[in-house]
Amino acid sequence: MLKVEDMHVYYGAIHAIKGVSFEVGQGEIVALIGANGAGKSTILKTVSGLMHPRSGSISFCGENIAHMDAYKLLRHGLAHVPEGRRIFLQMTVQENLEMGAYINKEVSQKDLETVFNYFPRLKERRKQIAGTLSGGEQQMLAMSRALMSHPKLMMLDEPSMGLAPILVDQIFDIIKELHKSGTTILLVEQNARKALQIADRAYVLETGNITLSGTGAELASSDEVRKAYLGG
Amino acid sequence: MSFLQYLINGISIGAVYAIIALGYTMVYGIAKMLNFAHGDVIMVGAYVSYCVTSYLGMPAIVSILVAVVACTVLGIVIEGLAYKPLRGTPSLAVLITAIGVSYFLQNAAQLIFGSAPKNFKSIVTMQPLTLFGGGLTITGEVIITIAICVAIMVGLTLFTSKTRMGKAMRAVSEDRAAAQLMGINVNQTISLTFAIGSALAAVAGVLLCSTVPTLMPTTGAMPGIRAFTAAVFGGIGSIPGAMLGGILLGIIETFSKAYISTQFSDAIVFSVLIIILLVKPAGLLGKQIQEKV
Repeated sequence: MLKVEDMHVYYGAIHAIKGVSFEVGQGEIVALIGANGAGKSTILKTVSGLMHPRSGSISFCGENIAHMDAYKLLRHGLAHVPEGRRIFLQMTVQENLEMGAYINKEVSQKDLETVFNYFPRLKERRKQIAGTLSGGEQQMLAMSRALMSHPKLMMLDEPSMGLAPILVDQIFDIIKELHKSGTTILLVEQNARKALQIADRAYVLETGNITLSGTGAELASSDEVRKAYLGG
Repeated sequence: MSFLQYLINGISIGAVYAIIALGYTMVYGIAKMLNFAHGDVIMVGAYVSYCVTSYLGMPAIVSILVAVVACTVLGIVIEGLAYKPLRGTPSLAVLITAIGVSYFLQNAAQLIFGSAPKNFKSIVTMQPLTLFGGGLTITGEVIITIAICVAIMVGLTLFTSKTRMGKAMRAVSEDRAAAQLMGINVNQTISLTFAIGSALAAVAGVLLCSTVPTLMPTTGAMPGIRAFTAAVFGGIGSIPGAMLGGILLGIIETFSKAYISTQFSDAIVFSVLIIILLVKPAGLLGKQIQEKV
């Protein structure tokens, strides 16, 4: 579904991503793990068109998207829930969801019901200004907003960041549910343990290079990964 | 009774500032730039209206519509030619370009129309309203200006809170990258903002020159600066803030002219601005929202 080949990305003169290749197949959950600053978010931003690679190719459902503008990609079925949630804090919960459905022209009541099924808390708060939500609720809103456009592939950047353990479990449960209902997931996480638990396959990223790859279980039991990312 | 008279006149001139300030504040909110050429778009609007009535002999309402269309196109062209290529460059580059566009428009007007003032014929034919046995006179211009200002305020509020495009504008103004991820075309949204702001500038130009009938190439410059002040005063980026700031500025200006000194009125207006900004740096209605992590 998504295929990235030998992608190089620069921030000005800084060579942030040094020839990364990876793939996400239809129906998979693929995790990208690595330390802070390894380039995980940069990879997602480049795939979603917020940044562009200097060289290499990115194809999505057979189409080359390496130089496509971000706003066009959602129409192809690629949604990105960015790091730090980036919900519209001054708009209401309902308006945030409407923005998620922007490309559909009209907001369908059915879609709203679907996301409220996943996140009942948001239904209670639909008239509330998003900036007043708790961190966990904001993450739920960010994911719901992305769901409104029925993406084929959902890229999640650090969905567990800053959340209490119980909320982290909840968010991961929902990721699993989304996956069951047919959404392909590309997950970027610092919480490697959690990510490897649910991932079909995973890649380990170190300072702009992919150093390891394998199934979630393989990586979780590999010595290198355990030492570096799972605390021994 | 003269107090009431000054107040009403102040609200009326303030309403013009408010309409101009909306252009500044919307463009700042969406495109994050100060469009210092905005004041000169007002002047262009007034000249277009003047030409349509004086040379073509068309009725006032037609002249306003032509001015609105001309300024809308002008706004989109300015944005596309002068500002769009600079997207992503330091804001200073855009600011200097805006000042350049301002001089360009003023000089182009001088080339076409000469620097001698034209006598702008008021578009308002309504009779003045005399109250309290002649103690209070409200001119037709004042009534029309305030009515149009209220209509614009209501219209814009409905547009940004109810329509899909309006909400998309708010989304872009809050977080451009996130708005792109929603599938919103940011370039198109910025063009639309310039179009709306410039259309409002045309209306403001006609209203301004109906009240103060001297039209020359620099007509837009000073009201533009005052309206910019009003936008900052109310909280730049905020639509209700621009309205409030504009009207307060008009009232302060009229009162200081009436009760203190005509020459010092600008100094007084700007002193008030400085004091307000010292106390409330984000302006009267400017938001400083806290972000949760």
